[in-house]
Order: sequence, then C-alpha cells, then structure tokens
Amino acid sequence: MNQDFLFKASNISKYYGQNIGCKNVSLDINPGEVLGIVGESGSGKSTLLNCIHGNLEVDEGDIFLNDKSKTILNFTKISEPKLRLIQRSDLAFVHQNPRDGLRMNISAGGNIGERLMAIGHRNYGEIREIAANWLEKVEIDVSRIDDKPSTFSGGMQQRLQIARNLVTRPRLIFMDEPTGGLDVSVQAKILDLLRNLVRELGIAAVIVTHDLAVVRLLADRIIVMQNGNVIEAGLCDQVLDDPQHKYSQLLVSSVLQV
Amino acid sequence: MNEMSKNENLDIQIYNFAYLDENTKRMIRRALLKALCIPGYQVPFSSREMPMPYGWGTGGIQVTSACLIPKDVLKVIDQGADDTTNAVSIRKFFQKTANVAVTEKTSDASLIQTRHRIPETKLKEKQILVYQVPIPEPLRFLEPREVETRKMHALSEYGLMYVKLYEDIAKHGHIETAYAYPVKTNGNYVTDPSPIPKFDNPKMNNSPAIQLFGAGREQRIYAIPPYTNVKSLDFEDYPFEAMKANFKCSICGSSNSYLDEIIVSDDGKRSYICSDTDYCKEQTKLNSKKEDQL
Repeated sequence: MNQDFLFKASNISKYYGQNIGCKNVSLDINPGEVLGIVGESGSGKSTLLNCIHGNLEVDEGDIFLNDKSKTILNFTKISEPKLRLIQRSDLAFVHQNPRDGLRMNISAGGNIGERLMAIGHRNYGEIREIAANWLEKVEIDVSRIDDKPSTFSGGMQQRLQIARNLVTRPRLIFMDEPTGGLDVSVQAKILDLLRNLVRELGIAAVIVTHDLAVVRLLADRIIVMQNGNVIEAGLCDQVLDDPQHKYSQLLVSSVLQV
Repeated sequence: MNEMSKNENLDIQIYNFAYLDENTKRMIRRALLKALCIPGYQVPFSSREMPMPYGWGTGGIQVTSACLIPKDVLKVIDQGADDTTNAVSIRKFFQKTANVAVTEKTSDASLIQTRHRIPETKLKEKQILVYQVPIPEPLRFLEPREVETRKMHALSEYGLMYVKLYEDIAKHGHIETAYAYPVKTNGNYVTDPSPIPKFDNPKMNNSPAIQLFGAGREQRIYAIPPYTNVKSLDFEDYPFEAMKANFKCSICGSSNSYLDEIIVSDDGKRSYICSDTDYCKEQTKLNSKKEDQL
C-alpha cells in the first residue's frame, strides 16, 4: 500500500434494509487534495460522506486514515472514543445548514472555541485570541465575537461554521453542500474563502454538491454517483469536459448557461 | 393529647422503618454502593413515589431512608437553616416513620440531609451528608440529548462544559455561575454539586464525610466517597473563586460564613445573616462566653 495517502476508502457499502445507500465505493485522498462528489439527489452522496466521516457505520469495506503520527487507522476497527477524538482533531464536518453545525445559543467566540476546549485548551485569553483571529480569517467583524449566530446572516453563519471547523487545523474536511441554501453572490464569496483557506492551510477536502460550478472551482478530482454507485471518476477537468458515462454527459449538459 | 400519641404510634406500626419497604431500601443501597465505587457517576435507580411532591427533596429522602439506622441522629437543613418549611417537614417525617433522634447541631448529627448548602461546621468521619438534587446532569442545559450526555461522560468529552464558563466570562467579565458550579470528581466525572453556592464547593474536596446525592424525579443517585479530590472547573487565567457577600452576619458578627441577604424595611434597607442557623447560634454563644470572660 502506498504510504503517502491521507485517506482511503476501499469497497465500502452501506444498505438501508433492502435499499442501497452506497455500494462498493472506493476512493483515495492525498494530502492537500480536494475531491468533489457529484450526483443527483438520492444518489448516495451524503450517505457516502457520512460513512467516510465515521458518522454512519459501514456494512462492508474499510476506511483508513493516515494520522498525524503516520499511523494508519482503520475506522471500522478503532474504538468509539478514538474515532470521536479523531473526528474532533484530524477531521472536520461542515453541514449544509449552519444550524446543524453551530450552537445557535452560544456566542460566535464560544462556537469557535468549543473544539479548542474539547482538545484541552484551558486558557480563556488564548482561546479568545484564536477565535478573534479566525473571525478575521473568515471575514466576520471581530466586534461580533460575543454575538450569537442567530443574529448573523446565512452567509455569515456558514463562514462561522467553517471557522469553527478549521480552528483545530484538521487535515481533512468534509463538506455537505456547503453553499446549498445561499444566494449566488454569497456562494461566490464562500467559495472564494474556501479555496483560499484550503490552499493556504494545505487541508484536504471532500465536497459533496450537485452544483458542477462548485466542483469546477474547488475540486482537483471528482467522482460521479448514481443510485449508490460510482459511475465515473477522474480529474475534474477531464470528467467535466469529456464525460464518458451517459449520466455524466446528461449532468454536464443540463447546466444552465447564461 | 392521648388521641394524638396513639395515632403517632399507629403510624409507626403501619409504616416500615423509615417509610420505605426493605426491598426498596435494598435497591437504593445497591445503587449507593455502586455510586460510591465510581465517584461522580450517575447511577440510575427506580425512584419511588413519595408522600410529597417532586422538588421537595424526594431523592434525598429516599437516600436518607435507605441509610437510616435506629441509633442515627438526624439533622435536616434547607438553605442552611434548620427551621424552614422543607427542613421541618422532612425532619418530622423521619421522626414519625423512623422514630430517630434529631438534632440541630451539625457536630452531633450522624446523618445530615441538606437542600442547597453544606454546613459551616467542618464535617467529620462517620457522618453522612445527603444532598437533594433537582437536576443531576451538569450538561443538561448544554446538551439536551440524554444519550449524548451519557456518552460524553463515558468518553470524558467535557469541552462543552468549558464553553459555558467561556460564555460567562465573555458576557460578564468573570465566571458568573454562582451556584451548581460544576466540579470534577476524582479527576474523572464532571459532577453537578446540586445547587449549593460555589462558596461551598471547596468543602466538598477531601471531605472526611460521605457525600450522597439523590435526584428523585430524574431517578439518579451519585456519590463522593470520603477523602476524594473534588475540583471546581476553571480556566488557567480565570481561576475558581469561592465567593460570598462581603459583609458580616448582623446576628453573630461572623465574616467567614455564607450570608443571606434580607430586606428589612420598605425603603430597601438590607441586613445580612448567616444562612447556617446552627453555626450562627454557636458563634453567638461563643461571643457571649468571651464577653463573660471579659
């Protein structure tokens, strides 16, 4: 096995009773690489994302993470405390709806600080300073540090969620439709921000989306899913410019041109 | 008079010793033993209906009932006072159903049931302190899912507890939480000390007495065995502070006991008196002795 990979899923399947969530999916992610997962609603994108993040137990297959100390961990074998620790430190998960990923009744600073406190930071001054830095990085006015996310606009909430996730410097971030419910100009801003952060910090990312423009902008490689199966995978430009499978062709051709 | 005492004798015969039946007491004792073995861990127990409403100390009463033996000397306090409604009615309840001796003196008691205070007089070995607990789960208002909070305890994921303290400092400039201040028991479980003022938190640490906690409505028992390390949570740069009103008791003059604030006139004049009535009495006695000597 190649030792340089960051994350690897091999032949994972997830069934919901008789129904297929995803079937026989394999993927590799190298450090700093952005992988896009595209497909229509119900094609198993989110199931796959939740499986590889460790939120859902897979029925078949193995998931490996090459952790900070170069030890290869198998998600399907490690204990729950260990998995949760990894989810807090090495991994991050950005939800489509910021309400799922934020604590709405806790200030912006507290939201960013939570992950820090969860991994053992116990100095208020430090935590606050780091939180302020991150607010700046995601272009939220630092004076809003003590305001609750419920007073923020949708775009700000999403940026806050990104800051909250990136504060512990994860090495792999999972994003489920990060720009889903936002209007186009705010989407563009968030994408720009994500692109900069991911490149600057060298974080690898998996982005689930049905928006091909998002993957074109962010992703290095993409996989296309239909009915729980991966039907096409490859470099982003290659798949989008020259789709081979007829469903990929349909997907690419159905993008509206202005 | 004769009629009354007859009735009281009758009550003692009708009820088992200390009200609960032996099997129930056995069940509670098992929970208590488990709780003592795992300091700070919330042990579920099948709480019984008691002849008083939830919120009146039904958890504490069940624990007391399971611990009482005929030669016990019982003291009951409510917010430190021996003579408030809750304390009086619980004391009477056990006088009636267990016929045990009662006292107001902390040092004479072998079992003390308390609501929201720890006595000022230092507790000693072979004393049991039973707390009445309304909400045993310190994470309750931070994480509403019980399944999740249990998992958080099991995996010692206490970051969220610190988020609460962070919010306090961000909002008020200091840790505003003044009662039910979370503690870490034996370096392991984060525990709700019941709504005692944080002034009392240091008394829990390394206490020679056994500390038992009963939550009737929530059906949980937990315990802190004698000489256990109990640490109040804090930040490095905002250390824990046990605080009280900065006055002297206007009855006994003590400046190191926890004080109640009393409004004494219509125009809002205040007075401060010890919340621990027994301690206040002792101090007053000591003072008059000193005066006599002079």
